[in-house]
Amino acid sequence: MDAIAAKQKISASFLRKGVIVAILSGMSYGLFTAFMFYVAMAKGVWPGLYEKAGSTVILLCLLSALAAAINDSISAVWCITIAAIKGKAGDFFRSIPTKPGRMMILAALCGGPIASTAYVLALNYAGSLAAPISALCPAIGAILARFIFKQALTPRMLLGIVICFISAVMIGGISFQADASPTMLLGVLIALIAAFGWGLEGCVAGYGTSMIDYEIGITIRQFTSGLSNFIILIPLFGMLTDGGLGLTFDYIGKAITDTEAMPWFIVSGFFAVFAFSLWYKGNSMCGAALGMACNGAFSFWTPLFCWLIPGIFLGKFGAPIPTIGWFAAVLMAFGILVIARNPLDLFRKQAVVSLQKQGA
Amino acid sequence: MKPLNFAILKHFTTVKEACADDVIKALKSEYGSFKALSKNAVIEALMTAEQNGLMQESKYDMDSKGELRVYWRAHEEGAATINKYIPN
Repeated sequence: MDAIAAKQKISASFLRKGVIVAILSGMSYGLFTAFMFYVAMAKGVWPGLYEKAGSTVILLCLLSALAAAINDSISAVWCITIAAIKGKAGDFFRSIPTKPGRMMILAALCGGPIASTAYVLALNYAGSLAAPISALCPAIGAILARFIFKQALTPRMLLGIVICFISAVMIGGISFQADASPTMLLGVLIALIAAFGWGLEGCVAGYGTSMIDYEIGITIRQFTSGLSNFIILIPLFGMLTDGGLGLTFDYIGKAITDTEAMPWFIVSGFFAVFAFSLWYKGNSMCGAALGMACNGAFSFWTPLFCWLIPGIFLGKFGAPIPTIGWFAAVLMAFGILVIARNPLDLFRKQAVVSLQKQGA
Repeated sequence: MKPLNFAILKHFTTVKEACADDVIKALKSEYGSFKALSKNAVIEALMTAEQNGLMQESKYDMDSKGELRVYWRAHEEGAATINKYIPN
């Protein structure tokens, strides 16, 4: 093999690996969501806590933030363990006080407490309509990457973004017909904040991991997200309730000593490691726009796993989304593919050569 | 001591160009015990930096063992960004 052929091979292989990594991150996202929301939070003290909360929005927010905090903190422990096994634990501590380290913390604050809280609030106001709207984060991320980091945004990518928005509207339309309420518009706007937060996180983190090892990056992300939820968000929500901080500590104590649910949070935290670390890795390997596009197939994987996983582990399948929802989810995946590359290349014999030329 | 990834990038602000083996040789005294100071890991770090606009390939050839040897360099803007985010 001559040098040109060897170089083309390694370039194509690197881009292909980045795409696979980003797709796996979307699948891991679906798995961690399913294990956290549909298995862990269906066991132990959680059903009782939700029954007590009733429709009180602030208590629902407190419980959701608590679940996210437990999941992310356990995930952080998984991350540092994996980093230690690979001999990278020292670099975690060395990276925190640096500029890229601070960028990662900022990214985690955008995507951890801010976006997650906005997502939970949106669910309260707009019901399931919030989910597909938040799945717009890859499209928003691609646009943000264009303006913040000057990454390329071609007419084809713009077409893909439009397809993503159309499919999100289609998915949203299902919930709109089923449970339209006066607060729905507010919920949609709040869900856009979640999509914006996750989109911004992907851009900033993707750039940050061009300097920081992605496994160090995800460790910083999960520690920041878990700790900021525990130290800032949960007490804040607690203070807004009638029970005050006493209620907050009572809920935290009950949740973390719950031997039925915690093992499942350990499983969800494990998948969260790969949901976010492979997202960061994919973004930094193939650019924020392409990386987030491939990751964005979680709009399809999440409902699929949320349907299957409870059936496998609890003996009761989750509610399947309507047929039009699956169609729109596939359309979303197609829109993502259009953002990523020209679908016609898949049918051309010279596709590989074309890809290699781009990489060379 | 800097994180290994920072040291790899910073090395390119001090040399005209380098391949993965050059980087490993230069950092071996300080980072020799690091598992991540391997050829594949260094190449992946450099290709990631290239994808993010910090680095560019300067040339490539086949070495005496018949393996591909790629050289990278930090262009002016990339070097400025590296120095901005990773001071000495």
